[in-house]
Amino acid sequence: MKILTCPLNGPRNIAEFTYGGQVKPMPNPTEATDQEWAHYVFYGDNHIGVVREWWMHTPSGYWFIVERHNQTDEVMRTYDPAELFDPGSSPATEPVQADP
Amino acid sequence: MSLRSPLEGRGMIEGHGGLRLIDLTLARRGGLRGSGAREWLLSQGHTVPAAPNQIVASGESDSVMSLSHREFWLLQPNCGASSARPAAVAVAAGIWPLYCQHSHAWLQVAGEPRAEIMAKLCGVDLSEAAFPQGSVAQTQVARVSVIVAAHQDQDGRSVFSIFVDQSLARYLWEVISDAMKEWLG
Amino acid sequence: MTERLPLPYGSRIKRDTPVSARFDGRELPALEGDTVASALVASGQWVISRSFKYHRPRGPLTMAGHDANTLVQTRAAPNRLADELPIADYPETTAQNLSGSLMADRSAIIDWFGRFLPVGFYYRAFYRPFGVWHWWERMIRKAAGLGVANLSASPHYQDKQYLFCDVAVVGAGPAGLSAALKAAEGGASVLLVDEEPELGGSLTYHRFAIDSDAVRSEAETLIAKVASHPRIKVLTHALCNGWFTDHYLPVIQGDRLFKVRAKSCVLATGISEQHVVFRNNDLPGVVLCSALERLLNHYAVAPQGELVVLAGNDQAWMTALTAAEAGLPVAAVVDLRDAPDDAALLAEANARGMTVYMGATVYTARRDSESQSLCAVDIHHIDSQGEVGELIAQTDCAVLAMSAGFMPAYQLACQAGAKLDYDDGRAAFSLSGLPAGLFLAGSVNSMYALDAVLADGRNAARAALRCIDMTADEDESVTCAAQVNHSWPIFPHPKGREFVDFDEDLQIKDIVNATRLGYRDVQLVKRYSTVGMGPSQGRHAALPTARLVAKATERTVSETGVTTARPPVKPEALGHIAGRRFHPHRHTAIADRHAAAGAQWMPVGLWGRPAFYGEPNYKQRCVAEEVTAVRTGVGVIDVSTLGGIELRGPDAAEFMNRFYTYGFLKQPVGRTRYAVLVSEQGVVMDDGVAARLAEDRFYVTATTGGVDRVYREMLRWNAQWRLSVDITNLTAALSAINIAGPDSRAVIEALDCSIDLSADAFPYLCCREGDVAGVPACLMRVGFVGELGYELHVPSLFAAALWDAVMEAGEPWRIKPFGVEAQRLLRLEKGHIIVGQDTDGMTHPSEVGLDWAINRSKPDFVGRRSVDILAASAPIRQLVGFSLELTAPKPLEGHLVIKDGDIVGNVTSCAVSPSLNQIIGLAYAHPDTANPGDRIAIRTEGGVLVQARVEGLPFYDPQNARQAL
Repeated sequence: MKILTCPLNGPRNIAEFTYGGQVKPMPNPTEATDQEWAHYVFYGDNHIGVVREWWMHTPSGYWFIVERHNQTDEVMRTYDPAELFDPGSSPATEPVQADP
Repeated sequence: MSLRSPLEGRGMIEGHGGLRLIDLTLARRGGLRGSGAREWLLSQGHTVPAAPNQIVASGESDSVMSLSHREFWLLQPNCGASSARPAAVAVAAGIWPLYCQHSHAWLQVAGEPRAEIMAKLCGVDLSEAAFPQGSVAQTQVARVSVIVAAHQDQDGRSVFSIFVDQSLARYLWEVISDAMKEWLG
Repeated sequence: MTERLPLPYGSRIKRDTPVSARFDGRELPALEGDTVASALVASGQWVISRSFKYHRPRGPLTMAGHDANTLVQTRAAPNRLADELPIADYPETTAQNLSGSLMADRSAIIDWFGRFLPVGFYYRAFYRPFGVWHWWERMIRKAAGLGVANLSASPHYQDKQYLFCDVAVVGAGPAGLSAALKAAEGGASVLLVDEEPELGGSLTYHRFAIDSDAVRSEAETLIAKVASHPRIKVLTHALCNGWFTDHYLPVIQGDRLFKVRAKSCVLATGISEQHVVFRNNDLPGVVLCSALERLLNHYAVAPQGELVVLAGNDQAWMTALTAAEAGLPVAAVVDLRDAPDDAALLAEANARGMTVYMGATVYTARRDSESQSLCAVDIHHIDSQGEVGELIAQTDCAVLAMSAGFMPAYQLACQAGAKLDYDDGRAAFSLSGLPAGLFLAGSVNSMYALDAVLADGRNAARAALRCIDMTADEDESVTCAAQVNHSWPIFPHPKGREFVDFDEDLQIKDIVNATRLGYRDVQLVKRYSTVGMGPSQGRHAALPTARLVAKATERTVSETGVTTARPPVKPEALGHIAGRRFHPHRHTAIADRHAAAGAQWMPVGLWGRPAFYGEPNYKQRCVAEEVTAVRTGVGVIDVSTLGGIELRGPDAAEFMNRFYTYGFLKQPVGRTRYAVLVSEQGVVMDDGVAARLAEDRFYVTATTGGVDRVYREMLRWNAQWRLSVDITNLTAALSAINIAGPDSRAVIEALDCSIDLSADAFPYLCCREGDVAGVPACLMRVGFVGELGYELHVPSLFAAALWDAVMEAGEPWRIKPFGVEAQRLLRLEKGHIIVGQDTDGMTHPSEVGLDWAINRSKPDFVGRRSVDILAASAPIRQLVGFSLELTAPKPLEGHLVIKDGDIVGNVTSCAVSPSLNQIIGLAYAHPDTANPGDRIAIRTEGGVLVQARVEGLPFYDPQNARQAL
């Protein structure tokens, strides 16, 4: 079984994680054309290469970002989403909480 | 009004090598979460772990467990659970009390073969060498989410405290007792 | 029975502990430590089984559990391998797959018709005319069915356990021992796994030098060091049956499957000795050299009669020396080559007076009709590759030991992604391209000389240490030039029966014919001929098949290759995969009370919930009584399984506003609002009630099945939005009960409630916090079942006490607990949808009449754009209420709604309403027939169309007056 390294909890069996799809930028929902919106909602890139994905460590309810090569399945890097969505914040991971 | 553990009536299970499974659900515990939670706990005189997923003794018989940089649980095995309304409002700006008294049941496994028993249920290496006293793992045991903490109880025994969604407490009790079977004789 | 050899022969047996055993109903004398096969050979019987297809008599080939010739039946299970079954544990075994007896199998007649049963015969013979297969099937299944499953065998305790180590070493032969010791000395924790009962592998039976004493003492030292090293954990009799990503190894030992997690891994899996392909090479008594060595050294069994050794390499000569030393009469050594590589072997053989034939082969083996085993061999000169000349000698013998070379035990390495390459010069496959952290050691790595094997083991350990950041000293230089494979040990005979694959009874022509029929790829040859599909998984068939296919298709053996290796390496019992039963089940804090009240349980996700209370035989009546109690008096239901999430912080309202479809910014404290969640695709995902308990504090419920996902999505959106809000899943922390019915207010008032419950002070759709019966509670007035009702959310440890208090206080009003069945009926009468039952993966809000729950004046919410696009397009279907007379056939959930011959929708809920005395339901209908009074056609059981009347919702109390009391 594959091992994935959670930035908060360390290396764990992949079964401890929930996949959350690719990280993709949302077009402006009021300005995008119907086609652009449909493309965002329904289409996934299917290129060979490094993809950026959402993964959650299920027992701790902690979402993070995985950069993974989709052909070799090699994980290049995992990090807190603050790095993408709140670049000015403290570098420490800011996990959310334990899931009962 | 009386508090009732979901494991009421289960008693305790004892076996060879100091092996013991007990229910501590009615012992007191509380939690705080927020970006200033650590500083607030320190200001209240608690000892607080330096990093996430650790547990340290605090005061005479309490322990403080860190689940992230901003979430901490205070475990007080010598006090009974409070029958007051769980606090819901912030103790300080952005620091919120948690409901771990009611959300999680508290099981405790003591005894020499405890890591081997857990290895039947859990994919994290909980042996002393890999998971020394003071370690905490948020993981899965027998397919359900749990928090496992390695620490010493009041009598100095090395134990695993296991916290699990109270609705799954009976299930977890069943699978741990099943895994213990070969040491029960 | 023959006498066993004296010590030191017989390392596995206990001479002073006889075992009384039976095989096929006859007494079989044996010793503890014997396998069923070793005891049989010791008793003078080679025949153990009948072959799969031709029912030819078969005996052990490997004595290591690596061939299918030893399949026998135990009491509990068929298809167990006699050469690995400890006879002390399995004293009763029988032969299988035969008609009559083992020595006189009536099905053996098939052997004579063999030429009418070419490969692929079944595919080609039995498919025409249509239906004829069913006639043949019974006969073929009987003939090829092998053993019999014991359906009354009781399952025993099997479980799984993780094992963690720095370095896992698979195989405890010389290379594995050496690697394990080196890794442990370097500080690593080591797990050493071997399927044999002891450490040592080939050291326990094979002679690595003409003078074997020095080797033996070196081996003993090494084994002792490994066995006593504190950082080495040894698992013997343990089978590593696969390699999975990141060194996850399933290791089966006894009734336990170990899930090994290693940081790095050394494969010292060794080699499979290869047979020579000649006519009747499957006769009992024809064995691999290693099998004879095992019989002698492990079991002290010296088979009766003369021995012929058929050598393709120097190793086989060692076998001849070992056998001669043990006192076996060696009638001849036949070498496929012109001379052994080591001239000392020839000198030694001559010194011992052995007859030696060089450049020759056994061309035909002959069978003794009484023992059904080998009695003589025809030895021919080899003219050219695969071609023989005249008969040199016919030699009487009872045992033929052969070695044509070796195939690396490649299975685990190839599962991990390694490649097999064939070196024409060495006539052997070798492995390359292993993933990070995986290393080969010893003969699997083409090292054969003992010094090289030991050094290679140490080097593999060094590499393993380095890759887990532990220090290791310099590598030793290791080379091994030994030539161990003969390039063409294949000798076609005009009469056939030169077996390539013993499991599947495949001969040379079967493989060659498959290529002639166009199956050029070795994968296709496998599927067509079934070569390599038997229990031995191509251990012996892969190499000759590769060579035959390469030759027949005029390609190189490298180009041809072998078929893909997949786990498991050896057949494994399903019980090992199943292990213990881990089916989590959740109980609410009140479950004991329900059980005491006679609840009949139904599963809802992981939860057990009361379906209704009372006798299972009177379900209808029980449910109807529960419904009546709620409609006319008071009922109480445990709704603890409902999800609950708390949102706290200055941005709590902003978060709610962005997440759910409704507006929440201006929601007053003390009020609830309906909260609908849609996905980004605009599909209804979940619904619940949002209570604003303070300016900065919301408590929102979610469906039992949906809460985990809702909570997950909340966390994910806020990982992006970065709002100042704390999100907590309170599903476990809070339990909830719903007290509903006209008398519900009176019951709660009787409970010492700190909240003013009057309609003015606490109206419908409001929420209050206070104490009820001394329990801190949050009360919400909700109308799910359509009566005056209060939902009490309380901390879980109090829930049982509160339930008891409610039941006691409600006694004067005859309060009745009700279950999920009654609740679903009550809500159906009110026309309330259940997300997941009345919605599907395509449902958008306007299809189910939820337009009112969408706030279009706020800037955005999750899925907003999709909802707008869907709302602007022409509607396809509409969820409507329908009714039918009680006499009509009752539609079931999932029955189709038909319009003009087309499917336009389906029934999502349907029940007999006791309150309305008719059948009511919800269904998706065409928008043209979605208005009250319209008719929709529902295709019910047996295709009967019924015309249902579309009704306005709710069916019951259309003015919603009762819930607002």
